Amino acid sequence: MSELATTGPGTESDPILTLANVRQSYSGVLALRGISLDVAKGEFLTLLGPSGSGKSTLLRVIAGLEEPDSADVMRLNGHSIVGVPPEARNVSTVFQHYALFPHMSVGENVEYSLRIRKVAPEERRRRAEAALALVRLPDKYGRRIHQLSGGERQRVALARSLVMGPDILLLDEPLGALDERLRLDMQIELIELRRKTGATFILVTHSQEEAITMSDRIVLMRAGTIEQMGNPRDLFASPATEFAARFMGFENVLRGRILRVSAQDAEIDIEGTTIRGRVVAKNLRPGDTAFAAIRAEHIHVAKAADRTNHLRGTAGAPVYKGRFTDVPFRSPAGDLMVRLDGADDVLPPQADLSFAPETCVIGSIGPESAGQEETSSKGKKHD
Amino acid sequence: MSAMRKGQAGTGVEQAAIGTITVLWVLGVLLPILSLLVISFIQGKGLGFVWAFSTKAYADILVDFRIEIVLRTLRIVAAVTLIELLLAFPFALWLAKGLKPGWLKSTLLILLVVPFFLSPAARTIVWRSILGSEGLVNIFLAQTGISPEPVSWLLFSEFSVHLGLIGPYFPSMVWPLFISFSLIDDELIKASRDLGADAFTTLRHVVVPLALPGIAAGLVFTAIPMLGDNVASTLLGGGNVALIAESFDDLIRAMNYPGAAALASLLVLAMLLAFLVARLVLARRQASEGGIFAEMQA
Repeated sequence: MSELATTGPGTESDPILTLANVRQSYSGVLALRGISLDVAKGEFLTLLGPSGSGKSTLLRVIAGLEEPDSADVMRLNGHSIVGVPPEARNVSTVFQHYALFPHMSVGENVEYSLRIRKVAPEERRRRAEAALALVRLPDKYGRRIHQLSGGERQRVALARSLVMGPDILLLDEPLGALDERLRLDMQIELIELRRKTGATFILVTHSQEEAITMSDRIVLMRAGTIEQMGNPRDLFASPATEFAARFMGFENVLRGRILRVSAQDAEIDIEGTTIRGRVVAKNLRPGDTAFAAIRAEHIHVAKAADRTNHLRGTAGAPVYKGRFTDVPFRSPAGDLMVRLDGADDVLPPQADLSFAPETCVIGSIGPESAGQEETSSKGKKHD
Repeated sequence: MSAMRKGQAGTGVEQAAIGTITVLWVLGVLLPILSLLVISFIQGKGLGFVWAFSTKAYADILVDFRIEIVLRTLRIVAAVTLIELLLAFPFALWLAKGLKPGWLKSTLLILLVVPFFLSPAARTIVWRSILGSEGLVNIFLAQTGISPEPVSWLLFSEFSVHLGLIGPYFPSMVWPLFISFSLIDDELIKASRDLGADAFTTLRHVVVPLALPGIAAGLVFTAIPMLGDNVASTLLGGGNVALIAESFDDLIRAMNYPGAAALASLLVLAMLLAFLVARLVLARRQASEGGIFAEMQA
């Protein structure tokens, strides 16, 4: 996937950050396996992935809080930052638990980086108050940190990082510690903040919803590598791998064998059922092991107009989710989750399920996961 | 309702505990100090007392040589405590933040406890064979020709008393510092570096202010027991460096109990003054921080 690194928006102008083949390990365990990435000036980039995928490590490497084992290129705003200590890099991190200095007031926290840079006190105060106004805390300058709520601390941490005018603002799961309502508000506010400051943001999160809401571009990471990169629409609609499909919230991911491939669509055989869908992988050939992914809301309980993607399923116990109901179905192709809008629909035990081919994505499974597929499908046949 | 009753029961237990501790504290700590004060203001007569107010005890102890001893003790204790701080600070910082948990850290922490179990006299008297006129240092100096004559100020001098006090009180300074450094969140140090501060600036603006309660505790835990130390001055002072502790021995041997009580009362007063100064210094920080830091100062 690393060849995708050169096709990001960074190629249009000079990228603010260039990484090539960054490697990092912790006591023998590889955390980053050769990451290459360009970040454009003013971009909102999200590093998305499950825990252990290396996204936080990558952020710390960019901040200089960790020195990578090796890196071919690490350039920030035109200068190499290989071996440069964190204090000499013009980037700033908003830590997950804010890391505000408890012995200083809000104002002293925000002014910290300016005090280090020997900015005159009046100038410091002016800029700190401007930064606090930016995060909508204009009258909290004299407060102590322990007098603030979680959301307010978050904003102070943002102000403290923004006041020094960093080349890149690094956000390490900044919304993780907030309750849901506050998290949604802060998402909007971060978008606003980026718009107002025009700064480059790199966000680390494990929430695909956060990534999709806020970013210009998402870097999906898995086990120290970049699995897929693209804008939120690309990743949401066209995950290129089975892992990406699952991580981007496709409820139904099934495995089978490719029957027919064209430039746009393909047919895949899943346990004897033929499914037609959009091709999201290159080099797919008939006979390959592949996956098909369909979102629960794209499956309808009705007879299809033609015989394409038509399955007969047996309904299981519905799960009421408020705005909708998820119903698991057993079908010849495997278990399918179906999302129904009407919560009170009475379902017949047997139902016809169908979905449009353009809502179903078909992609290849990497060689290592294909091996697992071999053994698991063999196991199924013995049942 | 039930939660409220539970809360009241909890307060009841707490109040009982506070009451018990208060009574024990009054009986075990406050009463002896108060009787010390009372005895210092009466006159002794053999093994008994003459129950009449008198300041004779204070007049007795405030003779020239004893004021000199008090001042010398305060000077030596202050100097050694400062030396301990300078030695223990980098060591405790390395132990808390530089050293990854493992066998080395555990071993060092155990070694820091061991001195508490050793006989103070045994570990102090070793210095005699090192610093004496036929000790290791003088043998070395003679053989290398640096000083053919034995250097006499090495032993039975203020120098040897200072040296003898450093070792035993090192752990007393390291422990509070180590604990307060360990309590500082690593993320705060990272945040400081991230915001542009180098290691020294981070030390000055983040680590030292946050470790201040530990520094204060270290100073108190080191200086106060050292005020009562009679081992180093007896074994390494050789009668040339008398400290307060020996004065107590002298006064008690002479059955001058009011005199001993008066001297002790003055020491208690000096400590109270030192505490008040420390509190004033820490007052601003105490106002700004809750929880653990406030507890550590108490």
